[in-house]
Amino acid sequence: MTNSIREIRDADFLFVIGSNTSEAHPIIAMEMKRAVRRGATLIVADPRAIWLTTIADDHMQIKPGTDVWLLNAMAHVIINEDLTDKKFVAEHTEGFEAVRDAVQDYTPEEAEKMCGVSAELIRRTARSYATTRKAGIYYTLGITEHSHGTDNVYALANLVLLTGHLGGPSMGLNPLRGQNNVQGANDAGASPIYYPGYQRVDDTESQAKFEKLWKRDLSPDPGLNLNEMMKAAGDQIRAFFVMGEDILLSEPNVLALEERMNRVEFVVLQDIFPNETLRYADVVFPAGNFAEKEGVFVNSERRMQRVRKAVNPPGEARADWEILLELGRRASAKRNLDPSVWSHQTPAQIFREFSASAPNFAGITHERLDQPTPDGFSGLQWPCKDDQDPGTKYLHEGGVLRGKGLLTAVAYRPSMELPDKDYGLLLSTGRTLYHYNSATQTRRDEGLDAKQSEAFVQIHPRDARKRGIDEGDLVEVKTRRGVIEVAAHVSRQVRPGCIWMSLHFAEARANVLTNDVGDSVTGTAEYKVCAAEITKVNSIEFGHAGLFPGSYFHQSPRGAAADSEAGVLEEETQEN
Amino acid sequence: MIITKPTCTIDGQKFEFTAGESMLEVARRNDIAIPTLCHDPRLDPAGACRSCLVEIEGQRRLLPSCATKATDGASFQTKSERVEKHRKTLFSLYLTDHADEDSEGGQHRGAPNKLAGASKKFGAENWGKLTNLRDEIAGDRSADVNPYIQYDSDLCILCAKCTRYCDEVEAVSAITLVGRGSETAIATPDSRSLLDTTCELCGGCVAVCPTGAMGEKKPKTRNQPIESELKKVRTTCNYCGVGCQFDFNVDPDGRDGLGEVVKVTSPDATPNQNMDLPAGFSGVSSDGNLCVKGRFGYDFVHHEERLTTPLVRGADGDLHPATWDEAFDAAIAGLEKVSAKYGDDSLAFVSSARCTIEENFLVQKVSRVAFGTNNVHQCAAT
Repeated sequence: MTNSIREIRDADFLFVIGSNTSEAHPIIAMEMKRAVRRGATLIVADPRAIWLTTIADDHMQIKPGTDVWLLNAMAHVIINEDLTDKKFVAEHTEGFEAVRDAVQDYTPEEAEKMCGVSAELIRRTARSYATTRKAGIYYTLGITEHSHGTDNVYALANLVLLTGHLGGPSMGLNPLRGQNNVQGANDAGASPIYYPGYQRVDDTESQAKFEKLWKRDLSPDPGLNLNEMMKAAGDQIRAFFVMGEDILLSEPNVLALEERMNRVEFVVLQDIFPNETLRYADVVFPAGNFAEKEGVFVNSERRMQRVRKAVNPPGEARADWEILLELGRRASAKRNLDPSVWSHQTPAQIFREFSASAPNFAGITHERLDQPTPDGFSGLQWPCKDDQDPGTKYLHEGGVLRGKGLLTAVAYRPSMELPDKDYGLLLSTGRTLYHYNSATQTRRDEGLDAKQSEAFVQIHPRDARKRGIDEGDLVEVKTRRGVIEVAAHVSRQVRPGCIWMSLHFAEARANVLTNDVGDSVTGTAEYKVCAAEITKVNSIEFGHAGLFPGSYFHQSPRGAAADSEAGVLEEETQEN
Repeated sequence: MIITKPTCTIDGQKFEFTAGESMLEVARRNDIAIPTLCHDPRLDPAGACRSCLVEIEGQRRLLPSCATKATDGASFQTKSERVEKHRKTLFSLYLTDHADEDSEGGQHRGAPNKLAGASKKFGAENWGKLTNLRDEIAGDRSADVNPYIQYDSDLCILCAKCTRYCDEVEAVSAITLVGRGSETAIATPDSRSLLDTTCELCGGCVAVCPTGAMGEKKPKTRNQPIESELKKVRTTCNYCGVGCQFDFNVDPDGRDGLGEVVKVTSPDATPNQNMDLPAGFSGVSSDGNLCVKGRFGYDFVHHEERLTTPLVRGADGDLHPATWDEAFDAAIAGLEKVSAKYGDDSLAFVSSARCTIEENFLVQKVSRVAFGTNNVHQCAAT
């Protein structure tokens, strides 16, 4: 995020696109709710009627994968109606002419045909965004999990740069990070092209610096990104070390991956629970969870915050950092490398080596993170360059960091696989409030499991009727990559022609279905769009109305029946 | 022109304030204690509990300091005889219309009760028990099938902090005040289970409740120690990227001395006096709020299915328990064998966005330094 979470409540205009904030980032949604309560305008662009649309001023129910059309049309309105911030564009950006020319064909009327969002609404939103000073854009994986995810982000950045909504409070471009430490994992250099602190592996200066620090020659060749690794499994890649991810639940097109994993010769797995990947593991290291170790997570707003040890791990399990230090030490000794680079005793020492190696983190230590900081919150937001630096609330203050903000002309490219006569529906995947990713943690909580215990697919009543599907029927969802069985949830939350599934359930892996084509720049897979078809298997009964999220929108008849069952249960318990 | 800030006088002392601040906020900022039960910086002031009443010069009646704005030149007393007398009467009334909170030393397994301490402090007396008429309206909430949240009308003082949080912060309006007069209670529409309402089980109602009327089921049903006997460990939530801060409440003797997480509580939203914060800031960027996963989804921590011993796949094709030495040797030998055969770039290291920054740093270091490859990426990259 360019800006901070606490600034959201003071924003006057919120453009939320490709983010089901109230389910995936509930506490950020609370900030948005607070802003709306104060009178801010909220526009939600999402293919589904998510909770936030119930308090939004407008809902742009966009066709999945047509974001570039929508965003270019907004840029079209802003440029042609002369709503750009001319001073900002002249002083702080480059590439304006290219974008101006590129968006000329993207008229709101054409966009309406492509995106299913009315031209009037596109105009109104563009004008309102451009003319409100404290206007922030918030997005997540609905923008990035496309084969053209990078284009989507450029198109959003164009809006920010054209209007100069950058470098001040409550504005900017704000990707909401999906996992507790995605930001930190990138910051730490768990990347095929970057050392810690975004210093490129093919930059000779950085290479020399880390060679000196780690006392060995380092490879200047960028490695494979995750998407490439998965596709090269069994070919170029013959061994995996996997820490804290269930690749066979989380990666797209998993059946093909399973087949390739059979040709991988050696797998080391380090995790807290047995998972699907365990079937392929040759060695398993039992790790400690976040309650059992010291360390730092970095949140969405670049804030480094402490994780503290509360309890000891069970049995022989050890904190991940202890295992990794030992692995590094032993492997280095075996290869006659200098083992002294593994001599840390505590996470605080490891953190210091990390933060000292990158200018943007140089001012941060565990000791400082344990003190109250000048802004009154716990933790420090990077950039934080020395031990006096109070950290950075919002980026790009007084001008764009890279010198000139680059306006990038983008052209619409269709998603790689769209519905056709064999697979007539468009499948998107996502998260729900009650579970988290592969759900190895949340499905082990009886309460969360009670609220939502089964996988489901949301389908519009019109599409359900055509296929003879009723609420709660067991259906087969099929794509070119695989097939799974799951309960049908007939709901107007989705657009006609679209279906939606969550990715949490191991017995109905949505990623059997998803397309593993990656974005050409980042390798991020197209989890949000692929062609699918549904057929009914049989009718089954469901027990509880709370089974589905979104049941508060459209209580189904069967949901109502389940309601009264719950009522009966309540009465019986009372009598006892 | 000299612009002077407006001032008001509290207990004879003059203080500057910013226009818009309430009398309570001015007093708190200057370390003058005024008791409150229903106030929360995240909520609009309600003046519901009457414990923050002060005596304002020129006003006939005592007024709630939380809901009264400070005005230039105003003067008010927080400790006058009249205020003290009011507090004694008020807390006596609360005690009389309230369950015996001494049952567990004023502590509940669900949430602590601030009423007990305040009553003692102001010399309140119990004037004999009233019959609780609220139960009829509230119904027996212990029968609610929801797994987390329980309402006990015996402990409720109807300050409506929970319903206001539910309206104003979580904005789902799942619970409300129902009934009139002495029969008023907190309930859901049609007394439904929370599972069948708009409730998202964030547990904010439990966190803000001053008396423990909104309580947590989990620690109660498991008969775990009361909150004052637990050690609080401030940490960062491990689910999404918001980075909410919360306190693990740990029973240090649990699990044969390994320590046991009994529950999760959110940091107090009241500003930390030592930190000199602007009004309303809680010291954590998440503002003391938590969602259902953060507050209640911690059962995995001590789950019986945890991996507790290293495993190595044997010649029979099965995974077998091993010592750490054996596991490290097997892992290094296996990776070495592959890299000897196909080169260092035939290895791939998948790191985790769920682990700490130190651990991600170490995975890329193991990959680059010990095994010589840049094939390292974190799990959230696709």
